[in-house]
Amino acid sequence: MSKPRIVITGTGAVCAAGKDPQRILESVRAGDSAIGPIRQWETSGWPTRVAGEIADLNPREMVEDRKLHKLIRRTDLFGLFAAARAIDASGLTASRESLAAEAAADYSDRTGVYVGSGGGNYDSQYDYFPLMTEAKDTLPAFGRELSNTVNPMWLLRTLPNNVLGHIGIRHGFKGSNACITNHSIGGTLAVIEAAEALRNGEADRALAVGHDAPIEPQMVLYYGDVGLLATDKIRPFDRRRDGSLFGEGAAALALETEASAMARGAPIVGEVLGGGSASDAQGLLAIRHDGDALARAIALALEDARLRPEDVGMIAAHGNGTQQSDASEAAAIRRIFGANGKAPPTTAFKWAFGHLIAAAGILEAVLALRSLEERVVPGVATLESLDPACEGVRVSAQPQQPRSNVVLVLCRGFAGTNAALLLRSTRSAS
Amino acid sequence: MAARRRVAITGLGLVTPVGNDVASTWKAVLAGKSGGAPISLFDASGFPVRIASEVKGFDALAAIGDRKLLKLANRSHSFALAAAEQALADAGIRPTPATRDRWGCAVGTGMMGVDFAELTAVHQNSAVTGELDPTRLLEDASANNPLVFCRSQSTTGVALLTRRYDIRGYATSVHTACASGGQAIGTGLKLIRRGAVDRVLAGGFDSMISPVGIAGFCLLSALSPDNDTPQRASRPFDITRNGFLLGEGAGFLVLEEWEAARRRGAHIYAELAGDGNSLSSYRITDSPPDGDGPIQSMRQALSDAGATTKDVDYINAHGTSTFMNDKSESAAIRVVFAEHTKEVSVSSTKSSMGHLIAGAGAVEVAVCALAIHHGELPVNANLREADPECDLNLVRGESVRRLVRVAISNSFGFGGSNSCVALRRPQDVDGSGFAS
Repeated sequence: MSKPRIVITGTGAVCAAGKDPQRILESVRAGDSAIGPIRQWETSGWPTRVAGEIADLNPREMVEDRKLHKLIRRTDLFGLFAAARAIDASGLTASRESLAAEAAADYSDRTGVYVGSGGGNYDSQYDYFPLMTEAKDTLPAFGRELSNTVNPMWLLRTLPNNVLGHIGIRHGFKGSNACITNHSIGGTLAVIEAAEALRNGEADRALAVGHDAPIEPQMVLYYGDVGLLATDKIRPFDRRRDGSLFGEGAAALALETEASAMARGAPIVGEVLGGGSASDAQGLLAIRHDGDALARAIALALEDARLRPEDVGMIAAHGNGTQQSDASEAAAIRRIFGANGKAPPTTAFKWAFGHLIAAAGILEAVLALRSLEERVVPGVATLESLDPACEGVRVSAQPQQPRSNVVLVLCRGFAGTNAALLLRSTRSAS
Repeated sequence: MAARRRVAITGLGLVTPVGNDVASTWKAVLAGKSGGAPISLFDASGFPVRIASEVKGFDALAAIGDRKLLKLANRSHSFALAAAEQALADAGIRPTPATRDRWGCAVGTGMMGVDFAELTAVHQNSAVTGELDPTRLLEDASANNPLVFCRSQSTTGVALLTRRYDIRGYATSVHTACASGGQAIGTGLKLIRRGAVDRVLAGGFDSMISPVGIAGFCLLSALSPDNDTPQRASRPFDITRNGFLLGEGAGFLVLEEWEAARRRGAHIYAELAGDGNSLSSYRITDSPPDGDGPIQSMRQALSDAGATTKDVDYINAHGTSTFMNDKSESAAIRVVFAEHTKEVSVSSTKSSMGHLIAGAGAVEVAVCALAIHHGELPVNANLREADPECDLNLVRGESVRRLVRVAISNSFGFGGSNSCVALRRPQDVDGSGFAS
């Protein structure tokens, strides 16, 4: 028995550069960066004053249900929005409406949800500050005044798995599921695990979502203090790169077995070919200079997809703009693809809207798919001079042509975790 | 196509409120000893709930021995490190330079955040009015302390475990609230089955016994308010149950591809035979009264394990001791097991340990492995009068001896995720529990 093909039938995305994949890619192709001054708090005097914030945020426009806003946080809003867009694009819930009650119930039971979540924000705990002030930092008073001061729904608003739970409730999906709180590779692992669940018959359809909203004061300070943040721009693989910058938002992919998609006449935009993940085991922040775990993740993904390196038409690199990550990513790419210009044309997207942490990899997967549709490997506008340490990475300020309709999406996170995902576009004119 | 790879459980490690290792925890859950007591970790005198089930007498340095690593760990991470160490020692195998790429790590992790002392420091320095002044945060010691940062991330646990044991394969952290531990074990099962790795250190850990953690559950009225009788507070399926008892701790398992485990002569506690998970999609806090959601996860786990309801001898229930959970879970068990319901023994070890939240599922899968191994079932402690709506074959009064062919462990989380993990007696896989 061979494993079924896993197809992509809808996508959704939101970040500082736009509220759908097409608009975001337009902005990237135009060389526009959506990174700008942080507006959520006064940052004068701060070492980092820019990020890819979603401006003019209108929560009610993103998620209609008024009551829901009391139960969710900023990051959840993005996740629910992107999920709804992917569901609409794929017709996942519309197809259920035509079914009789029993078949509809089975359809719901056979539709899964896989979410990569940022895992939490420091400011969630700030909801206790008014109480702590009132209690003058004494615990007995804190306990006594608790229910008079703090929102009774505090814990529920703070759950890292809120997007998972609320997608289920809003869209009636009840199948296999996971909420992966694995820092930056969470969204990518959501795609990999959703595809595996479909391959193994645990579900027929699954939504994969990644969401995060890391732009908050304490997070910005910590990342800055440990040397991860840039002063003004993300310059992937460039000689002058000096760090990353936060973005925020979400992306989603509707996945299903080919049989499910065919049966309901769904629009097929691509295919998940394979994935792999490996760890450096160096602790929370350290990474190995040789990119060993990333190279192994790529090799596992190629093996899973039964592809050779030369089949890959384009790489969407992690390219977060830090010295160590980009140099070790280049080492991994050289190890798999060879050193002398044999790697496929490569881009990296974070310069245009920031690093979305848990949502980064899945957003970049959605944009990579869209790039293949448009037959372009977008240029990296902030690239001036390729760092010799990043030799072998075929990245350019100018747009390039993909050499096939297959993209390799790379993703790296804290705890030395790495993930590689291979997608194929079924819409790229060849 | 080659036959599906089987997965063996070859090592267990537990740090729980009723024992800081496997042997003492097992003895306590058989006897129905409660970990409940007045909260000692902070001054809870003003709180509506002043009891919890704390880990007692735990010496992190003695258990882990690495002072430098412990600086990067909060209380819950030190439980995780200690339980993982026990599990690897028990299994008698560790990653080596030759095997480390083929080891994975799957961990159910609690909610991220800083310890209350750090939160208080930020409050006193940067939010004295009750609202954060970001400008003051710039000079705030806690908000600029990389150690506080490193201890507070959702991947801290997986970072410490992979670094300490040099695990270089697929490593992940999952969070589906109270179902986290069960889903982590299920993830480990799938990773080995599909060949992504050959061995997995899988588990869960949590510690929410802090002012903010207790507060969060108090605000939802989820905890038993029986402050005067902490050892009776957790009484799953009893008609007088009135909420759960918050616990803390960690459970870890070593999972191995079956044939590899046999080849090295490993002791196999049980086959990790099946995993089911579903989404209730009903309310964030409850399963529906008719058991919809848990019904599907139990059925999937059995089908995945190639077992029927007739094969199941023991259910380690989620059994939180809240009104709704126990009612909904009982309804689900009755639907799934139908005419066999009364033949299956059921107990909730939360009656002894309390609710370990993200650690619960992993600890309870370990309890199921022990039930299979010892042929004995933990008691559902504190059961005086069973709720007629929870009409199950509950293990009452004392533990019972019973040969367990298949055991299942239920875990249901806030957010509606339901996890069910099925385990099988190793003799029923290939004839022997111990390598000959």
